[in-house]
Amino acid sequence: MEIDVEALKRDWTGFTFDTAEFEALTADLVGFATACGETAKRYTDPSDPDFQAVPNYPSRYVGRRVLPDNFPRLGGGYGFDAGKCVTPIAPIRAGDKITARSQIHDVYTKTGRSGTMLFIVHRMEFSNQRGEPVSVVDWRMVQQDRGAQ
Amino acid sequence: MILDLHNHSIKSDDGRAKVENYCQWIKKRELGLDGFVLTEHRQFDAESDYRKLEDEYGILILKASEVETDYGHVLVFGVNDDLRAAYDFTRIDLPLELVIRETERCGGVAVPCHPGRPRVGMCAHFEAKGPVEGVRVIETLNGGSRGEEDAAALALAEARGYRGIGGSDAHIVSQIARCVTRFPNEIRDGDGLVAALRAGDFEALSWK
Repeated sequence: MEIDVEALKRDWTGFTFDTAEFEALTADLVGFATACGETAKRYTDPSDPDFQAVPNYPSRYVGRRVLPDNFPRLGGGYGFDAGKCVTPIAPIRAGDKITARSQIHDVYTKTGRSGTMLFIVHRMEFSNQRGEPVSVVDWRMVQQDRGAQ
Repeated sequence: MILDLHNHSIKSDDGRAKVENYCQWIKKRELGLDGFVLTEHRQFDAESDYRKLEDEYGILILKASEVETDYGHVLVFGVNDDLRAAYDFTRIDLPLELVIRETERCGGVAVPCHPGRPRVGMCAHFEAKGPVEGVRVIETLNGGSRGEEDAAALALAEARGYRGIGGSDAHIVSQIARCVTRFPNEIRDGDGLVAALRAGDFEALSWK
Protein backbone atom coordinates (compact mmCIF):
# COMPACT_ATOMS: atom_id res chain seq x y z
CA MET A 1 0.00 0.00 0.00
CA GLU A 2 1.64 3.20 -1.15
CA ILE A 3 0.50 5.96 1.17
CA ASP A 4 1.68 9.54 1.07
CA VAL A 5 1.25 10.31 4.74
CA GLU A 6 2.60 13.82 4.46
CA ALA A 7 0.07 14.63 1.74
CA LEU A 8 -2.75 13.23 3.85
CA LYS A 9 -1.66 15.32 6.80
CA ARG A 10 -1.34 18.42 4.68
CA ASP A 11 -4.69 18.02 2.99
CA TRP A 12 -6.89 16.60 5.72
CA THR A 13 -5.74 17.48 9.23
CA GLY A 14 -6.43 20.52 11.33
CA PHE A 15 -9.89 21.64 10.22
CA THR A 16 -13.32 20.96 11.66
CA PHE A 17 -15.36 18.77 9.33
CA ASP A 18 -18.30 18.02 11.60
CA THR A 19 -20.13 19.65 14.50
CA ALA A 20 -22.74 17.89 16.59
CA GLU A 21 -24.69 18.78 19.73
CA PHE A 22 -25.76 16.53 22.55
CA GLU A 23 -27.46 16.89 25.90
CA ALA A 24 -26.04 15.08 28.90
CA LEU A 25 -29.17 13.46 30.26
CA THR A 26 -29.22 12.25 33.84
CA ALA A 27 -30.43 8.77 32.89
CA ASP A 28 -27.69 8.42 30.29
CA LEU A 29 -25.01 9.48 32.75
CA VAL A 30 -26.19 6.95 35.31
CA GLY A 31 -26.67 4.21 32.73
CA PHE A 32 -23.24 4.68 31.21
CA ALA A 33 -21.52 4.75 34.60
CA THR A 34 -23.37 1.65 35.73
CA ALA A 35 -22.53 -0.18 32.51
CA CYS A 36 -18.88 0.62 33.15
CA GLY A 37 -19.11 -0.96 36.57
CA GLU A 38 -18.67 2.36 38.30
CA THR A 39 -19.88 2.44 41.92
CA ALA A 40 -18.85 5.91 43.12
CA LYS A 41 -21.94 7.90 43.98
CA ARG A 42 -20.76 11.02 42.20
CA TYR A 43 -21.16 9.03 38.95
CA THR A 44 -24.19 6.87 39.77
CA ASP A 45 -26.38 8.88 42.12
CA PRO A 46 -28.05 12.04 40.73
CA SER A 47 -28.66 13.24 44.30
CA ASP A 48 -24.94 13.37 44.99
CA PRO A 49 -23.87 17.03 45.19
CA ASP A 50 -20.93 16.31 42.86
CA PHE A 51 -22.91 14.19 40.38
CA GLN A 52 -21.17 14.15 36.99
CA ALA A 53 -20.37 11.97 34.02
CA VAL A 54 -17.64 9.36 34.32
CA PRO A 55 -14.48 10.61 32.60
CA ASN A 56 -14.87 8.28 29.62
CA TYR A 57 -18.49 9.27 29.03
CA PRO A 58 -17.80 11.39 25.90
CA SER A 59 -16.48 8.29 24.15
CA ARG A 60 -20.12 7.24 23.61
CA TYR A 61 -20.78 10.17 21.33
CA VAL A 62 -20.46 9.79 17.59
CA GLY A 63 -20.71 12.69 15.18
CA ARG A 64 -22.64 12.72 11.95
CA ARG A 65 -19.56 11.89 9.90
CA VAL A 66 -16.62 9.67 10.74
CA LEU A 67 -14.36 11.14 8.06
CA PRO A 68 -14.51 14.31 5.99
CA ASP A 69 -16.37 14.20 2.70
CA ASN A 70 -14.19 12.81 -0.10
CA PHE A 71 -11.53 11.53 2.28
CA PRO A 72 -9.53 9.03 0.21
CA ARG A 73 -10.51 5.40 0.55
CA LEU A 74 -7.31 3.56 1.34
CA GLY A 75 -6.16 -0.02 1.54
CA GLY A 76 -9.18 -1.56 -0.10
CA GLY A 77 -11.49 -0.23 2.55
CA TYR A 78 -10.59 -2.85 5.16
CA GLY A 79 -10.56 -1.14 8.52
CA PHE A 80 -11.24 -1.53 12.18
CA ASP A 81 -11.46 0.41 15.43
CA ALA A 82 -8.12 0.83 17.20
CA GLY A 83 -9.50 2.35 20.38
CA LYS A 84 -10.27 5.69 21.95
CA CYS A 85 -8.25 7.87 24.27
CA VAL A 86 -10.24 10.24 26.47
CA THR A 87 -8.66 13.32 28.04
CA PRO A 88 -11.07 14.80 30.59
CA ILE A 89 -10.72 18.52 31.13
CA ALA A 90 -13.73 19.53 33.25
CA PRO A 91 -16.78 17.67 34.64
CA ILE A 92 -19.78 17.10 32.42
CA ARG A 93 -22.90 17.70 34.52
CA ALA A 94 -26.45 16.53 34.01
CA GLY A 95 -28.27 18.88 31.69
CA ASP A 96 -25.13 20.23 30.04
CA LYS A 97 -25.51 21.02 26.34
CA ILE A 98 -22.42 19.55 24.76
CA THR A 99 -20.99 20.62 21.43
CA ALA A 100 -18.56 18.26 19.69
CA ARG A 101 -16.27 19.39 16.90
CA SER A 102 -14.52 16.76 14.82
CA GLN A 103 -11.28 16.97 12.92
CA ILE A 104 -8.63 14.62 11.62
CA HIS A 105 -5.91 15.17 14.17
CA ASP A 106 -3.19 12.90 12.79
CA VAL A 107 -2.43 10.31 10.17
CA TYR A 108 0.44 7.87 10.47
CA THR A 109 1.57 4.45 9.36
CA LYS A 110 3.12 1.53 11.19
CA THR A 111 4.07 -2.01 10.36
CA GLY A 112 3.04 -5.17 12.16
CA ARG A 113 2.81 -8.92 11.70
CA SER A 114 -0.09 -8.41 9.31
CA GLY A 115 1.60 -5.76 7.17
CA THR A 116 1.39 -2.00 6.78
CA MET A 117 -1.39 -0.18 8.58
CA LEU A 118 -2.63 3.36 8.23
CA PHE A 119 -3.86 4.98 11.44
CA ILE A 120 -6.29 7.87 11.27
CA VAL A 121 -6.80 9.80 14.49
CA HIS A 122 -10.26 11.35 14.58
CA ARG A 123 -10.33 13.99 17.35
CA MET A 124 -13.56 15.22 18.91
CA GLU A 125 -13.28 18.29 21.10
CA PHE A 126 -16.18 18.73 23.50
CA SER A 127 -17.33 21.98 25.10
CA ASN A 128 -20.32 22.84 27.27
CA GLN A 129 -23.02 25.49 26.89
CA ARG A 130 -20.66 28.10 28.38
CA GLY A 131 -18.06 27.35 25.75
CA GLU A 132 -15.78 25.71 28.27
CA PRO A 133 -13.78 22.74 27.00
CA VAL A 134 -14.73 19.59 28.90
CA SER A 135 -13.08 16.70 27.08
CA VAL A 136 -11.06 15.57 24.11
CA VAL A 137 -11.52 12.13 22.57
CA ASP A 138 -9.00 10.72 20.11
CA TRP A 139 -10.45 7.82 18.17
CA ARG A 140 -7.94 5.77 16.23
CA MET A 141 -9.09 3.97 13.14
CA VAL A 142 -6.94 1.52 11.21
CA GLN A 143 -7.06 0.83 7.54
CA GLN A 144 -5.12 -2.06 6.12
CA ASP A 145 -4.31 -3.30 2.69
CA ARG A 146 -5.93 -6.72 2.24
CA GLY A 147 -3.76 -7.27 -0.78
CA ALA A 148 -0.61 -7.12 1.31
CA GLN A 149 -1.51 -10.21 3.32
CA MET B 1 22.50 -6.55 36.74
CA ILE B 2 19.27 -7.42 35.01
CA LEU B 3 17.58 -5.03 32.58
CA ASP B 4 14.50 -5.36 30.41
CA LEU B 5 15.62 -3.72 27.17
CA HIS B 6 12.34 -3.40 25.26
CA ASN B 7 9.22 -1.72 26.67
CA HIS B 8 6.62 0.84 25.65
CA SER B 9 4.84 3.46 27.72
CA ILE B 10 1.81 5.58 26.90
CA LYS B 11 4.18 7.69 24.81
CA SER B 12 3.79 5.01 22.15
CA ASP B 13 0.51 5.03 20.28
CA ASP B 14 -0.25 1.47 21.32
CA GLY B 15 1.29 1.64 24.80
CA ARG B 16 -1.10 1.44 27.73
CA ALA B 17 1.37 1.56 30.62
CA LYS B 18 2.48 4.58 32.60
CA VAL B 19 6.13 4.45 33.59
CA GLU B 20 5.32 4.83 37.27
CA ASN B 21 2.97 1.86 37.02
CA TYR B 22 5.80 -0.25 35.61
CA CYS B 23 7.86 0.73 38.66
CA GLN B 24 5.03 -0.09 41.05
CA TRP B 25 4.49 -3.46 39.39
CA ILE B 26 8.17 -4.37 39.52
CA LYS B 27 8.38 -3.57 43.21
CA LYS B 28 5.01 -5.05 44.18
CA ARG B 29 5.74 -8.30 42.39
CA GLU B 30 9.39 -8.35 43.48
CA LEU B 31 10.39 -9.14 39.92
CA GLY B 32 14.12 -8.82 40.48
CA LEU B 33 14.51 -6.32 37.70
CA ASP B 34 17.17 -3.66 38.22
CA GLY B 35 15.93 -1.45 35.43
CA PHE B 36 14.19 -1.18 32.10
CA VAL B 37 14.48 0.67 28.83
CA LEU B 38 11.63 2.56 27.17
CA THR B 39 11.74 2.01 23.43
CA GLU B 40 8.90 4.11 22.08
CA HIS B 41 7.68 3.41 18.56
CA ARG B 42 9.03 5.64 15.78
CA GLN B 43 10.20 8.38 18.10
CA PHE B 44 12.63 9.28 20.84
CA ASP B 45 11.01 10.70 23.95
CA ALA B 46 13.43 13.50 24.70
CA GLU B 47 11.03 15.31 27.03
CA SER B 48 10.25 12.89 29.82
CA ASP B 49 12.45 12.97 32.89
CA TYR B 50 12.18 9.84 35.03
CA ARG B 51 14.89 10.64 37.57
CA LYS B 52 12.40 11.12 40.40
CA LEU B 53 10.89 7.73 39.70
CA GLU B 54 14.36 6.19 39.61
CA ASP B 55 15.09 7.64 43.03
CA GLU B 56 11.72 6.72 44.48
CA TYR B 57 11.71 3.12 43.31
CA GLY B 58 15.42 2.39 43.03
CA ILE B 59 15.03 1.29 39.42
CA LEU B 60 17.16 2.39 36.47
CA ILE B 61 14.99 3.85 33.71
CA LEU B 62 16.62 4.44 30.34
CA LYS B 63 15.26 5.72 27.05
CA ALA B 64 15.81 4.39 23.53
CA SER B 65 13.67 3.94 20.41
CA GLU B 66 12.10 1.32 18.19
CA VAL B 67 12.27 2.31 14.54
CA GLU B 68 10.85 0.55 11.49
CA THR B 69 13.01 -0.52 8.58
CA ASP B 70 12.83 -2.47 5.35
CA TYR B 71 14.06 -5.48 7.35
CA GLY B 72 11.65 -5.09 10.26
CA HIS B 73 11.74 -3.28 13.57
CA VAL B 74 14.99 -2.21 15.20
CA LEU B 75 15.78 -1.06 18.73
CA VAL B 76 18.13 1.90 18.80
CA PHE B 77 20.14 2.49 21.97
CA GLY B 78 22.24 5.57 22.63
CA VAL B 79 19.97 8.04 20.87
CA ASN B 80 21.42 11.55 20.79
CA ASP B 81 20.90 14.73 18.79
CA ASP B 82 23.25 13.61 16.02
CA LEU B 83 21.42 10.36 15.62
CA ARG B 84 18.01 12.02 15.60
CA ALA B 85 19.24 14.20 12.75
CA ALA B 86 20.73 11.25 10.85
CA TYR B 87 17.42 9.63 9.90
CA ASP B 88 13.71 10.18 10.28
CA PHE B 89 12.50 8.09 13.20
CA THR B 90 8.87 8.43 12.09
CA ARG B 91 9.31 6.61 8.80
CA ILE B 92 8.32 2.95 8.43
CA ASP B 93 10.63 2.21 5.49
CA LEU B 94 14.08 3.14 6.77
CA PRO B 95 16.86 1.13 5.14
CA LEU B 96 18.29 -1.19 7.80
CA GLU B 97 21.77 -0.65 6.43
CA LEU B 98 21.38 3.11 6.97
CA VAL B 99 20.06 2.66 10.50
CA ILE B 100 22.94 0.41 11.48
CA ARG B 101 25.59 2.57 9.87
CA GLU B 102 24.35 5.90 11.20
CA THR B 103 23.60 4.54 14.65
CA GLU B 104 27.15 3.23 14.90
CA ARG B 105 28.57 6.49 13.59
CA CYS B 106 26.65 8.50 16.18
CA GLY B 107 27.75 6.31 19.05
CA GLY B 108 24.74 4.05 19.50
CA VAL B 109 23.82 0.45 18.90
CA ALA B 110 21.08 -0.82 16.57
CA VAL B 111 19.49 -4.11 17.54
CA PRO B 112 16.93 -5.75 15.22
CA CYS B 113 14.08 -6.91 17.44
CA HIS B 114 11.66 -9.85 17.31
CA PRO B 115 13.53 -11.12 14.22
CA GLY B 116 11.45 -14.27 14.01
CA ARG B 117 8.15 -12.49 13.46
CA PRO B 118 6.69 -12.29 9.96
CA ARG B 119 7.04 -8.94 8.19
CA VAL B 120 8.40 -7.00 11.17
CA GLY B 121 11.26 -9.40 11.87
CA MET B 122 14.60 -9.73 10.13
CA CYS B 123 14.63 -13.48 9.44
CA ALA B 124 12.06 -13.48 6.67
CA HIS B 125 13.68 -10.48 5.02
CA PHE B 126 17.10 -12.15 5.14
CA GLU B 127 15.63 -15.09 3.26
CA ALA B 128 14.05 -12.84 0.66
CA LYS B 129 16.64 -10.11 0.26
CA GLY B 130 19.82 -11.45 1.79
CA PRO B 131 21.62 -10.42 4.97
CA VAL B 132 22.65 -6.90 5.88
CA GLU B 133 26.18 -6.26 7.01
CA GLY B 134 26.86 -4.60 10.32
CA VAL B 135 24.38 -6.45 12.50
CA ARG B 136 26.09 -7.53 15.69
CA VAL B 137 23.30 -7.92 18.21
CA ILE B 138 19.70 -9.04 17.79
CA GLU B 139 16.83 -9.57 20.19
CA THR B 140 16.76 -13.35 20.52
CA LEU B 141 14.13 -13.39 23.25
CA ASN B 142 11.05 -11.20 22.91
CA GLY B 143 8.18 -11.23 25.36
CA GLY B 144 5.57 -10.82 22.65
CA SER B 145 6.93 -13.38 20.22
CA ARG B 146 5.68 -16.93 19.89
CA GLY B 147 7.89 -19.87 20.72
CA GLU B 148 8.75 -20.65 17.14
CA GLU B 149 9.52 -16.99 16.47
CA ASP B 150 12.05 -16.84 19.31
CA ALA B 151 13.46 -20.16 18.11
CA ALA B 152 14.00 -18.67 14.65
CA ALA B 153 15.75 -15.68 16.21
CA LEU B 154 18.03 -17.91 18.24
CA ALA B 155 18.83 -20.02 15.19
CA LEU B 156 19.70 -16.90 13.22
CA ALA B 157 21.96 -15.64 16.00
CA GLU B 158 23.77 -18.97 16.19
CA ALA B 159 24.15 -19.22 12.44
CA ARG B 160 25.56 -15.73 12.01
CA GLY B 161 27.37 -15.23 15.31
CA TYR B 162 25.12 -12.49 16.63
CA ARG B 163 24.91 -11.72 20.31
CA GLY B 164 21.38 -11.88 21.73
CA ILE B 165 19.45 -9.66 24.10
CA GLY B 166 16.12 -10.19 25.82
CA GLY B 167 13.29 -7.68 26.00
CA SER B 168 9.66 -7.99 26.98
CA ASP B 169 8.14 -5.68 24.37
CA ALA B 170 5.69 -4.75 27.12
CA HIS B 171 2.75 -2.52 26.29
CA ILE B 172 0.88 -3.04 29.57
CA VAL B 173 2.42 -3.24 33.03
CA SER B 174 1.95 -6.95 33.58
CA GLN B 175 4.00 -7.74 30.48
CA ILE B 176 7.26 -6.35 31.82
CA ALA B 177 10.09 -8.72 32.78
CA ARG B 178 8.96 -11.54 30.52
CA CYS B 179 12.32 -11.45 28.77
CA VAL B 180 15.37 -9.72 30.17
CA THR B 181 19.10 -9.26 29.67
CA ARG B 182 21.71 -9.99 32.32
CA PHE B 183 24.88 -7.91 32.42
CA PRO B 184 27.80 -8.95 34.63
CA ASN B 185 28.68 -5.37 35.53
CA GLU B 186 26.61 -2.48 36.82
CA ILE B 187 25.09 -0.13 34.27
CA ARG B 188 24.37 3.38 35.47
CA ASP B 189 23.18 5.19 32.36
CA GLY B 190 22.59 5.04 28.64
CA ASP B 191 26.26 5.35 27.79
CA GLY B 192 27.01 2.43 30.05
CA LEU B 193 24.34 0.37 28.34
CA VAL B 194 25.73 1.14 24.90
CA ALA B 195 29.23 0.26 26.05
CA ALA B 196 28.03 -3.06 27.44
CA LEU B 197 26.10 -3.87 24.27
CA ARG B 198 29.09 -3.04 22.13
CA ALA B 199 31.31 -5.19 24.31
CA GLY B 200 28.92 -8.11 23.84
CA ASP B 201 29.08 -8.90 27.53
CA PHE B 202 25.52 -10.00 28.35
CA GLU B 203 23.06 -12.84 28.01
CA ALA B 204 19.36 -13.03 27.22
CA LEU B 205 17.01 -14.70 29.69
CA SER B 206 13.39 -15.75 29.36
CA TRP B 207 11.16 -15.24 32.38
CA LYS B 208 7.98 -16.08 30.47
